[in-house]
Amino acid sequence: MYRYDEFDHGFVKARTEEFRDQVERRVAGQLNEDQFRPLRLMNGLYLQLHAYMLRVAIPYGTLSATQMRRLAHIARTYDRGYGHFTTRQNIQFNWPRLKDVPAILDELAGVEMHAIQTSGNCIRNVTTDAFAGAAADEVIDPRPVAEIIRQWSSVHPEFTYLPRKFKIAITGAPNDRAAVKFHDIGLMASANAQGEIGWAVHVGGGMGRTPMIGKLINGFVPHADLLAYLESILRVYNRYGRRDNKYKARVKILVHEEGLDAIRDQVEAEFEAARGGVLTLPQTELDRIAAYFVPPEFAEVATEFDLEVERRRDPAFARFVENNSFPHRQPGYASVTVSLKPVGGAPGDASAEQMDVLADLAKKYSFGELRVSHEQNIVLPHVAISDLRDLHAGLVAAGLATGNIGSITDMIACPGLDYCALANARSIPVAQELSRRFADPARQKQIGPLKIKISGCINACGHHHVGHIGILGVEKKGTELYQITIGGDATEQASIGTILGPGLSAEQVPGAVETLVDTYLLARASPEESFIAAHRRLGDAPFKEALYGSR
Amino acid sequence: MALADPLGAGLPQSDRLRAFGIVALNGMFDEMDANGVLRQAVELLPGDIAIVSSFGADSAVILHMVASIDPGLPVLFLETGKHFAETLDYVETLSRHLGLTNVRALRPDPEDVRRFDPNGDLWETDPDSCCHIRKTEPLDLALAGFGGWVTGRKRFQTADRGVLPHFELTSDDRIKVNPLAYWNDSDIAAYRKAHDLPEHPLYAEGFRSIGCASCTSVVAEGEDARSGRWRGRNKTECGIHFDVNARIARPLPVAEATVFSNGRFIADPWRDWAEGDAADGVRYTHVPLPVFLEHRETFLKNPHPLGLLVAPGDAIESVAGDLGRFASVAIAFPAFTDGRGYSTARLVTERYGFVGEVRAVGDVLIDQIRLMRRCGITAFVVAHEPTRAALADGRLGDLPVYLQPVGRDEVPVGSRRFLRRAGPSA
Ligand code: SF4
Ligand code: SF4
Repeated sequence: MYRYDEFDHGFVKARTEEFRDQVERRVAGQLNEDQFRPLRLMNGLYLQLHAYMLRVAIPYGTLSATQMRRLAHIARTYDRGYGHFTTRQNIQFNWPRLKDVPAILDELAGVEMHAIQTSGNCIRNVTTDAFAGAAADEVIDPRPVAEIIRQWSSVHPEFTYLPRKFKIAITGAPNDRAAVKFHDIGLMASANAQGEIGWAVHVGGGMGRTPMIGKLINGFVPHADLLAYLESILRVYNRYGRRDNKYKARVKILVHEEGLDAIRDQVEAEFEAARGGVLTLPQTELDRIAAYFVPPEFAEVATEFDLEVERRRDPAFARFVENNSFPHRQPGYASVTVSLKPVGGAPGDASAEQMDVLADLAKKYSFGELRVSHEQNIVLPHVAISDLRDLHAGLVAAGLATGNIGSITDMIACPGLDYCALANARSIPVAQELSRRFADPARQKQIGPLKIKISGCINACGHHHVGHIGILGVEKKGTELYQITIGGDATEQASIGTILGPGLSAEQVPGAVETLVDTYLLARASPEESFIAAHRRLGDAPFKEALYGSR
Repeated sequence: MALADPLGAGLPQSDRLRAFGIVALNGMFDEMDANGVLRQAVELLPGDIAIVSSFGADSAVILHMVASIDPGLPVLFLETGKHFAETLDYVETLSRHLGLTNVRALRPDPEDVRRFDPNGDLWETDPDSCCHIRKTEPLDLALAGFGGWVTGRKRFQTADRGVLPHFELTSDDRIKVNPLAYWNDSDIAAYRKAHDLPEHPLYAEGFRSIGCASCTSVVAEGEDARSGRWRGRNKTECGIHFDVNARIARPLPVAEATVFSNGRFIADPWRDWAEGDAADGVRYTHVPLPVFLEHRETFLKNPHPLGLLVAPGDAIESVAGDLGRFASVAIAFPAFTDGRGYSTARLVTERYGFVGEVRAVGDVLIDQIRLMRRCGITAFVVAHEPTRAALADGRLGDLPVYLQPVGRDEVPVGSRRFLRRAGPSA
């Protein structure tokens, strides 16, 4: 893992001190709320329905056991004993008091963490594949470059008052698990004609009320030029992005309105002037940062289970292994996803006790390392297969052993009307009801991989646009209704779901999902054909007809 | 009941109150800092706030705080005509003890009493109506003269700690202040002890919540009916729901025209371009970029020192070749949230190599200044008073280290790592 040097420490310390001063000036009335708002936002402090909310950055989703333990401590001491892991690989504390925030930031700084740039119209936390540095299919570990981007974007003086927030995602694997095409900039490892590895740059993706798939602006940017290229995009965006309408201020609208070619011309012109300058990344520096991310010292260990035997002996464990483990590049190891989606729970929430348990288990079984996935689960990246049973036992004891990763109950749901001021409709109760309907593991297995994503309003925090089945809360004449979308996909085969028909009531939603699932089960070419693959082959028609009848 | 504050004059009443940022106020105080809350309330609404007190068992605490801030603050006491004699005594003794000089007894309208409660037994048959004429109406009438009021309400009875905030905005656009929102019985007792406050005479007899004598046995019901109705007036619990996108008054313009340059404020030799100025004759004037382009030939012949004013949307490229003509480039930040000027500044200095003064004008705050300096801006025209004060003190808000090279001089030096740079020693 990356470790702070004296510069990072000095930087975070100075920022904490600075914010302490700003808080004091706010309390003393020297800053009014208008003036304080952008400052607190740049330090991750939001004002919500009932209280302040502090969002802490977890750079590219990587955490040490020590850091996780500190997060648990903060949850216990300054909050109500829990934290919420977000789709941006961050953690949010929902009840801090303003005057405690500098102390919390001190606690974070002590474990090399901070809340800088987790909100506000600046470059946000860089996100990546939760299996980075471990996945068997990886071309290159994206974390060193993610770390370099993190440094470059930290309080960048030119890009602190952008038209709107700006999100960068990066993946080093051909199978995109970081939804890079739904970010303002999405970077994907690519190779040039000489076989060198560099980055394919996508720009203008996003969700929200105008979902867009990121467009390829440059198919290959070498490591050395990447920062100059990013700075060129950011400058074009900072200068020309719309500032007259908050809903049209993201770079996706600029790209959409001006056209990709026009934007590319401007970016390339900037890049021409910037390339070869101070932002050129020396290979020695890349190597130096990469050294922080060398793989741990793996042991020679037993490589496989007889799942058939396990299934007979302990079906829950077998299910856990099948669903929650992911192929590791090191033989004998696996990455394990710990589900924060128990039946009936709020997706992404973890109690202080659970965080402590996760820290302990990471220490014991995963070289002290954890990841936060953008699907709001926790990943233990490097677990010896021979330790899986012990790990599972530890998770069972903490109520964290739900074996549903990738299944229909591994849903994303935004807070919705229960917590969010903007919501049209409830999300969590819908998720809870669905998780009960599909609680039977045998049924989950029969259905296979299926992603349901639920948003309480068009802001799409629940990513419904990219749900294989998406559920969107809308409001009609004061009643909560839900629109069902189908065919969304956040991976490299990015697509945006299409709306199937008029909105349904909350009571109708579970039945509608069952109908879609049953339609799929009947129509699939084979048990290997997943829901999304079947939809790609069949289109909307059979699903639409099943749900609304033929016209 | 005009607000004494100059804030947002001309805005409708409710907008002005929202402009106080009620939600933000709630995050400003330690939960137990009743005194701070009270002081803030009095400052927010000078001359426009009243304390409503029942002179009950717990009232001494808040009144003691009131007395320490300003014993002349109006204290409203609901003299229902139904109180224990001990309570009326207590009003006297406590006011005297604390030196309160403005305790007002609110009495029911005699006409109402004659009509609805001629025998004084309405409380038995219809306590809601009794409370209405003896409490609600008189209080409404009295509060009509105030922009806000302070209550002694506490939330410790309720399980949810999100229920009662320090500050609320009621649906009739008043600020309701609950300094004791987070206090519990033992906090009250401790405070009373620490300050040696006189106790309600009935407290010793075991009364805890003391209202009208007739209803103290049924006080729970009577109180609930009343407070329910009070809550009804703001039943949206508005205070905590308002968005803080409140409009806030712009900082006041500075009197003297000075510019902060080279570490101090100096008299500003430059002026703004004005309607009717002549392109061939002006001097020490910042010419807006479009005006310059329109009369470019004439300006180029003007022999006097000239400056250029660049607005956020202006294409700085269009004057790249002419920048050498100017002694000063002023970059406008009409709102501090508009960051286009940072790109302009870097282009002017880094790409086009301009070496004259680059100044920021407009909405410049201390927290932006270090960013501006790193982007090549060297002078600042600042209106915001606290920012001026900070600059005058030499507090420039610089961070000791930066994580990316920016600007002409910010290249990695010596053994320093890529992307790292020590901050300016200034
Ligand atoms: S999608 Fe809408 S309802 Fe859900 S959290 Fe976002 S803003 Fe709130
Ligand atoms: S408390 Fe009882 S006596 Fe007093 S006003 Fe209310 S009903 Fe009337």
